Amino acid sequence: MTTSGISRRGALRMFGIGALGAVGAGVLGACAPSGAGSPSNGGDPKSKDFDFTSWSLNEEAAKPSIEKIIAAWEKAEKSTIRAVSYPYNEYLSQLTLKLGGGETTGAVHLDIAWLAAMAQMGKLVDLGSVAGKGGYTDVALKSGTYDGKQYGLPWNTGSIGVIANSQLLEKAGIKEHPTTVEEFESALRELKGLGGGVVPYAAATKVAQLKDIFPWMQTFGCAMLDGGKVTIGDDASVDAVTWYKKLHDEKLIAADVDRFDARALFGQGKAAFYDDAIIGKGVTSAQSKDKTLADAMQPMERPVLKAGDTPQALLWGGVIAIVKGKGQDAATEFALHTTTDRATTSEYFAARALPPSTTAGLAAPEVAKDTFTTEWTRKITSTATGSPFWQFAQNAQIEEAVAKQVQAVLVGKSKPKDAMKQAGEEAAALIKR
Amino acid sequence: MTSTTPTPVSAVGRPQPSATRAGRGTRRRLRKDLLRSRIAAWSAVVVIGAFGLLPVYWLLATALSTPESTFQFPPKLVPTDLTLSNFTALAENDQLINYMVNSLVVASITAVLSVIVATYMGYSFSKFRYRGRRSLMHLVLASQMFPQALLLVTLYTVFSSFGMLNTYSALVLSFTTFTMPLCVWMLKGIFDTIPDALLEAASIDGASRWRTLHSIVAPLAAPGMIAAGLFAFVRGWNDFIFALTLAGKEKQTLPPGLVSTYIGEFQTAWPQLMAASLVVSVPVIVAFMFLQRYLVGGITAGSVKS
Repeated sequence: MTTSGISRRGALRMFGIGALGAVGAGVLGACAPSGAGSPSNGGDPKSKDFDFTSWSLNEEAAKPSIEKIIAAWEKAEKSTIRAVSYPYNEYLSQLTLKLGGGETTGAVHLDIAWLAAMAQMGKLVDLGSVAGKGGYTDVALKSGTYDGKQYGLPWNTGSIGVIANSQLLEKAGIKEHPTTVEEFESALRELKGLGGGVVPYAAATKVAQLKDIFPWMQTFGCAMLDGGKVTIGDDASVDAVTWYKKLHDEKLIAADVDRFDARALFGQGKAAFYDDAIIGKGVTSAQSKDKTLADAMQPMERPVLKAGDTPQALLWGGVIAIVKGKGQDAATEFALHTTTDRATTSEYFAARALPPSTTAGLAAPEVAKDTFTTEWTRKITSTATGSPFWQFAQNAQIEEAVAKQVQAVLVGKSKPKDAMKQAGEEAAALIKR
Repeated sequence: MTSTTPTPVSAVGRPQPSATRAGRGTRRRLRKDLLRSRIAAWSAVVVIGAFGLLPVYWLLATALSTPESTFQFPPKLVPTDLTLSNFTALAENDQLINYMVNSLVVASITAVLSVIVATYMGYSFSKFRYRGRRSLMHLVLASQMFPQALLLVTLYTVFSSFGMLNTYSALVLSFTTFTMPLCVWMLKGIFDTIPDALLEAASIDGASRWRTLHSIVAPLAAPGMIAAGLFAFVRGWNDFIFALTLAGKEKQTLPPGLVSTYIGEFQTAWPQLMAASLVVSVPVIVAFMFLQRYLVGGITAGSVKS
C-alpha cells in the first residue's frame, strides 16, 4: 500500500479549490441567459422564419404530405420553416422540456389531450381573434380551447369510436348495429358462437389503453368530474366496471389487449368490434391480408344504456398552437392556412384520411364522397366530448390510476366498488396537487 | 495357486473397476450416472441457449417477414411469407448511416474518456491513502443510484445555458455521468489485484509514480481497462433518453433515431425495425468478437483479492 505524499492541508486546499470551481460553474449556469420562466421564448415575433414542431414529421406515412405543405408555404411566402420532430410516445415530455427551456418556438402540432398541459405553461398565444376567420365547426373549436381561450387552431377533428366488421356481423346473423348495451351484449354472444378464435369485442384491457373505459363509464351515467369534484366511485362507474368484468369473464372481450393488438385482431378477421380513432380504417386495413376488409369496416354509434340516451365518444384530433416569440405572427398565418385552406386540407385528407376541422373542408367533394368519414362525423364525432381530466397537467397519471384499478377488477384482485372508490380517491388526490 | 486378475490402470492412473460381476455392475452404474449428468448438463445448456438465442431468432424471423404476417395468430415459429424488402428498404434510408456514425463517435469517445478518467481515479482509490478517500469512493458509487431521468432535466438546463445542446460534447459528457462510476469501480478492483510490492520495486529502481502507473501498472491492467471500455461503449451505444433530449436531428444516435423512424403514432414498422436493429448491431458484435477475451479476463480479474 502506497501512502500519500499529500498533507492534510494540501488535501483540504484541493477540496476547497474543487468546491469553488463547482460553485463558479453553477453561478455561470445560473447567470447564463435562458428562456425558462419567461412568458416568451425570445426572438422577433415579426420574423418570417419560424419552427414547426410535429411528431408526424418523423413518420413515413405522414411526413411527405406535411413536407409538401411546408414547401408550398416557404415558396409562397419566401420564408424558411425549420422542421422539428420527436417520436410520438416521447413528444409530450420532450415538448414540455423544450418549451420550458425556451428552445421551442413557432408553430407546434399538439394532440388535443395535451393542449391544457401546454397552455398551463403560459407560453402559447391566444388565437381567439384568428379562430373566428377559420370557419371551424363548433366541436373542432372546442377541442382547441382551454380555460375559455383558444390556444389551438383545430387541424383534424375526429373521435374515438367503435368500428364494426360487417362480414363477421353478417356471418353471425346480426342485421343491424346494436344500439343499446343489452343489444350489444346479445350481439357479442352471437359472435362468440362463431368460434375459430373470434374475440367478439377487442376492447382495451391493458393498463396503457384502459382509458377507453371512460366513454363506457359515461354511457352508464358517470360524469367523471362534476363541478370540480371527481365522481368516479359512484354507482354509475361501478356498474360500468362490473359490466366490463362480466364481458371479460364471459370471454366476450380478451385479456391483455391494447389498441395495436385490437387492430391486429380486427385485421385478421378475429374481432367484430373494436375502439379506434377515425384513422383506424386506413391503419388496420393496411396491415391486413384481407384486401376486402376496408369495405367491411363500419363506424358504429356506441351503444347507450337506454334508448334515447346520447351515444358517448371521446373527442380526438390535433391542433396547431403558436408559441410566443420568434416568428409568432408568420407561424399564426401558417397555422390558419394549413387548417383552413380548402385545397390544402383536401389534399391532406386524400393523403392521410384525417378529416378537416372546417365546415367548408368537410363539405369538399373529396371528403364528402368518403362515406366512412361522413358517417363517422355524423354518428360519432357530432356527440363526442373531451375528457374532463384533460384540463389537468396530471391527466396521464389520473388515467393510469383509474386504469390500474379497472385492471385489478378484471384480473380478480379487487371488487368493482372498492376499486372505483380507490380510483376516485387517487384521481382526487392528483387533482389537488 | 491363486491367480488374481491384475487391476488395469487407465492412462490417467486411475484404477479401473475389477472385471468381476461386481465390477461390471459398478461400471454400468458409473456409465448411467455419467449419461445422466451429461443429459442434465446439455439440457441446461439448451434451455439457457434457447432463452438467450430465441429472441435473436425471432428478431431475424420478423425482419424477414411481411408486415401482414408479423402478428398473425396463431404465430408461426418458422415464417412462410419471407421477404428481403425490409433489408433493401434500409438502403433507401440515408438517415440510418448518420445515426450509426453518431452512435459510433459518441460511444467511442465516451468509452475512451471514461476509461482514462476512471484509470486515474481507480488507481488513486486503490493505491493511495488520504483523508476523504472512502467518502469519495462512496460518492462515486452513490451517483449510480440516481435515475437518469432525474439528471436529465438538470443536464438539459446546464447544456442549454452553455449553448451545448445538439453537440457531441453534450452527449459524451452526459453519457460519462453514468459510465464513469462503473468504470471506476471495475478498475479499482483490478488495481487492487496488482501487488504493492511491484510498485515498491519500481520505486526502488527510481521510477516516479507517473512512470510506475503508465509503464508498469497500466499494461498489467490493460485487459480490465478494455473490459471497462467495452461496458462504457455498450451503455453509450444503448442510451435513449439522453440522446433524444440533448441531441438534435443531425447528432441523433441510433436508439432515438430508430424509434423516430419506425415507431409512429398509429403503427410500428416492426419488420423494418427488426431489420435495422440487426444491421446496426453488426459493428458491436464484431467489436465484441475481437475483444471478448479481454472482456472475460477483465470481468474476473478484480474478483479475487490476492
